[in-house]
Amino acid sequence: MKRKLLATLLCASMVLGLAACGSSAGSDSGATANTSGAGDAQATTTTDDGASTDAAAIDTSEHVKIVYMTTGGAPDPASSQTDEMLEQLNAILTEKVNAELEIYYIDWTDYLANYNLTIAQMDGSIDLIGTASDWLDAWPNAKKGAFLPLTEEMLQTYAPKTWESVSAEHWDLCKYNENIYLMPEDNYAQWTNHGYAYRLDWAKEAGLADGVQSWEDLTTYFKYVKEAYPDVIPWDSDGTQYGQMVGGWITSHSDYVSIDGINSGAMWGGSKDDLYTVYSPYVTDTDSLVAFAEMMKEWDEIGVWKTDVLNNTASDNREDFKIGRVAAEQHHTQTWTDLCSHKEGYTIYDDDEDAETGFFYFGQETGNVVALSITHGAMAVSAASNNPERALMVYDLLRNDPECYALFNYGVKGVSYDINEDGMRFLPEGYNSATDSITTNFWWGRNDDLEIKDATMNWDAIEDLYAEYDSIKIDYPYGQFVPNVDSIQSKIENINEIHTNYMKQIAFGKYSGTAEEIVAEYQEALKSAGIDDVTAELQAQFDALYK
Amino acid sequence: MAKNKDLDLMESGSKVKIGISDMIIRGFGYFFVTLYALACVFPFLIIIGTSFTSETVIRAEGVKLIPKEATLQAYEMVVHGGLIWKSYGLTITLTLCGTLLGLSIIAMTGYALQRKDFPLRNGISFYIYFTSLFSAGLAPYYLLMTQTYHLKDSYFAVFLPLLMSPWLIILMKNFVKAIPHEITESGKIDGAGDMRIFIDLILPMLKPALATIGLFLALGYWNEWYQSSLFLSSRIAVKPLQFQLYKVVNEAQALKNSVAGQYVSVSDIPTESLKMATAVLATGPIVFLYPFVQKYFIGGITVGAVKG
Amino acid sequence: MGKGKAVAASATGGKKKRGIRETLWKYRTLELMCLPAIIFFFMFSYMPLPGIYVAFVNYNYQGGIFGSPFIGLQNFQFLAESGKLFELTKNTILYNLAFIILGNILAIFVAILLNEMRSKWFKKVSQTMMFLPYFISQVLVGILVYNLLNYDYGFVNTILVKLGLEKWGPYSDPTVWPVLLVIIHLWQQTGYNSVVYFAAIMGIDAEIIEAAKVDGANGFQKIRYIILPGLRPTLVILLLFAMGGIVKGNFGLFYNVVGTNSILFPTTDIIETYVYRAATTEFNFSRASAVGLYQSIIGFIMVMISNFVVKKIEPDYSLF
Repeated sequence: MKRKLLATLLCASMVLGLAACGSSAGSDSGATANTSGAGDAQATTTTDDGASTDAAAIDTSEHVKIVYMTTGGAPDPASSQTDEMLEQLNAILTEKVNAELEIYYIDWTDYLANYNLTIAQMDGSIDLIGTASDWLDAWPNAKKGAFLPLTEEMLQTYAPKTWESVSAEHWDLCKYNENIYLMPEDNYAQWTNHGYAYRLDWAKEAGLADGVQSWEDLTTYFKYVKEAYPDVIPWDSDGTQYGQMVGGWITSHSDYVSIDGINSGAMWGGSKDDLYTVYSPYVTDTDSLVAFAEMMKEWDEIGVWKTDVLNNTASDNREDFKIGRVAAEQHHTQTWTDLCSHKEGYTIYDDDEDAETGFFYFGQETGNVVALSITHGAMAVSAASNNPERALMVYDLLRNDPECYALFNYGVKGVSYDINEDGMRFLPEGYNSATDSITTNFWWGRNDDLEIKDATMNWDAIEDLYAEYDSIKIDYPYGQFVPNVDSIQSKIENINEIHTNYMKQIAFGKYSGTAEEIVAEYQEALKSAGIDDVTAELQAQFDALYK
Repeated sequence: MAKNKDLDLMESGSKVKIGISDMIIRGFGYFFVTLYALACVFPFLIIIGTSFTSETVIRAEGVKLIPKEATLQAYEMVVHGGLIWKSYGLTITLTLCGTLLGLSIIAMTGYALQRKDFPLRNGISFYIYFTSLFSAGLAPYYLLMTQTYHLKDSYFAVFLPLLMSPWLIILMKNFVKAIPHEITESGKIDGAGDMRIFIDLILPMLKPALATIGLFLALGYWNEWYQSSLFLSSRIAVKPLQFQLYKVVNEAQALKNSVAGQYVSVSDIPTESLKMATAVLATGPIVFLYPFVQKYFIGGITVGAVKG
Repeated sequence: MGKGKAVAASATGGKKKRGIRETLWKYRTLELMCLPAIIFFFMFSYMPLPGIYVAFVNYNYQGGIFGSPFIGLQNFQFLAESGKLFELTKNTILYNLAFIILGNILAIFVAILLNEMRSKWFKKVSQTMMFLPYFISQVLVGILVYNLLNYDYGFVNTILVKLGLEKWGPYSDPTVWPVLLVIIHLWQQTGYNSVVYFAAIMGIDAEIIEAAKVDGANGFQKIRYIILPGLRPTLVILLLFAMGGIVKGNFGLFYNVVGTNSILFPTTDIIETYVYRAATTEFNFSRASAVGLYQSIIGFIMVMISNFVVKKIEPDYSLF
């Protein structure tokens, strides 16, 4: 009896095991089947699409699903507002181009890994890919064949508005090997050049009537804050800021324009009047670096940061700035636009009605401002897409159609946002960000022509600064340069390590000996790590591309 | 309990006199083992303590063993929305199904491969063992799973690869080895088929093996995060517990160190106490499994002492 | 049995063939019992194998593994020339050596002490406690370590501050990690390993121990002359098998504890973590696979050697 029972149990457990697991994942495999089914159907469309392009008559008779891949987590399953927005949006998209949109989110956890692995599947499950040449691998991906080359005819036919709105020069910047791969987000004011946000009212108290205009003014400001507001840490920096600090110093004291994406220190570039001769200011600008080292030692002695700054990896400086515990924040202009606006929880503005937040941007002294690469955000079409034409049509609407744009970026009007009498955006009564916000992470085609301004932002100050930038900026010149670092990777890694080790000491004034000695030692180490070889190799690649 | 201990001492003492050296060793033993055992448990206590501490206190005063004022805030946040319970359901389902199915297959295979009269046993053993020597690596595996098997965003991508491993099969073989061959022979004489012999005669003798290997399998499923991180995208809302934990922990890290940070507001980054509460909930039950199988498990390890 | 032999002996070639088929048929149940496992390993271990080819190409998305341009040994050449291969191998092997040597010493130590305990209750409770770390996921290990050691509010630093000492920042100091990782590994594994040795001690003939006691051997002598020699076979076997896996790193531990903290890579990057990063974040399938293949080959050789030695010493324990 017992044996029989055991036998039955064993068999039952196997069957159960299979069945139960089958059912638990059942809904899921159903979904997979769905997509692959759609894939088959789409494959047939693709084959006869070739003909339809020639005919210039766009065949949208078949309803298709376009999947758009973006970084950033999916909305909380408890919040249905994104789905609601998509429903309305898809109604419009179906009517206009007979397509619907689905968003494929790549969680922030390990996002680079999952992003690249998902692209590598190449099974037609993704159509539109949000990408970037600086913080995602747009060019390496294009080089490795992940993106579909977009011909001018395709863009003219399927994304006409986008084609028109992007200038010929900008399209040129999106080419690799004569083919366009990216549709750039090039009409969206977004300044990510770094600088110091500081308390303008305190700077005025310190005798700087026009606010901070130079690094020397910063020294004055920090000294004043330390004395006048003993409870305030002038700048609770963490130990990772050294790269931005020295980079900012060099930008402020030369015409250096760095090449992005070689190493985090951005240690190679050209100068404004000679863009295509590569050099590294970290080797050539010795006097400037010595001056920097001296000033930072002074800052350290003033007590600008905590004495254990080098071990501080997670300070809450930005949050502390909002509530007046620190007097400066080093980050980019976008961050400052937030900090200078009187938003909820920014108690400095509640506590002191004179409080103002100014911005000292790197390059202010020399007018050396380089606009963000237009491919900081861009949209590409997957090379494995079964419906590249329809994907382009959908993107064209998302980017250029006012109704689609507002829906996709702000959500359903009256629920996720509302518009006041000035035509600005505000949050409606009873708005709950947990349930009423939408998550589309559309950072690959925002458009200032269709943007609705946020009523909580301090637009007077922001627009003044933007206008100042626009008058002096140059476009990022190296957008197309895709460095091939294979042969110099190990040298670059060694240089990174040297840069980190020395610059941490230099930028926080924690070196022993004189400024001249430490800079000389640093440069010596860079040279023996082969920095000149890297410069020469980059120059050779520059010559191949630009000459 | 103390009484027992004295009794033990007296007993051994009555046989042979306890020398001074024995006393030293024993005294040091109690001291060291106690200390070591406490060190094993200690980090868990800190986590539990932290999970009951409010975020502001953590930031201000650091992590402590016993929170000044206990708060359930973090737990309320984790439980909020009920997603964690769904993760529980998923993990328990995966663990149960995977352990039962895996155990069945491993037991059958282990038995067959240990049958001395089975001519294919060396061939198949090597076929299985070879896979632990040579693997194709991450990239081909990923492409196969997604492109050929279409297992992206499917729970099967997590379920299937953990069913068995060469090592577990070798372990099972070692267990079966300990069962006298005569039992199989006697079954044959009675005219029973191989399956019948296996189920009726062999399985009942494999209890320690089943407990041990079952525990390994269950741990494998319960602690799974790697396959999930490769194959379950955000299309799958309900994720296995450890992967959920992995996400909560690593999200903040990923955002802090990258340009992407500019796109996320600080309030969306998980707090320390939230991480700890998730950790406590995600780990919980598996820890309590051990006392139930301890008896078999220790016996089990003994047989399978040699890891393949 | 004898009858079967006779049949086989008188069989002609044709009959022999049928003999094989008959044998296959005769053991069909056992074959079927193995079938699920055979299918499993075919699907998940053998199917990916041809993909190793990716280590010899310059992978691109459209070509896939077999359509990308063949570049021979260039991936290996790069890795060797950049010094990466040497560094990774060195890290992996040194960590494993430390894990193996210290791990076994500590496990034997704990097992011997446990054996001296007279209280069953104490043994049971302490073993349960020591097993706890073995039961948790590597994700949780990462959290535990971070919670103890992080600079801002970690437990250790909370204590240091209370004592008026300076804070300690291991997460920005690569030099301390070899020690820390070894400790973490020991913490997690010793509970398990000590049981193995504990069992081995139990296997030593109790009469020998009693006899020694009667002969007047003291506690230390007993350990030195009876228990330790008694553990030697187990130790030797375990060591040899560990040697076979000397180039295989503990990915879960290293990845969850160190993560993407590149400051720590110089001392903590092992083959597995490099392969993972190269394949995913740097997206160099080919290079990642080249390192993986290199590891497999070295690992294969090591296993063959150790198995050969085991076979010489204890044929019963050899793997094949």
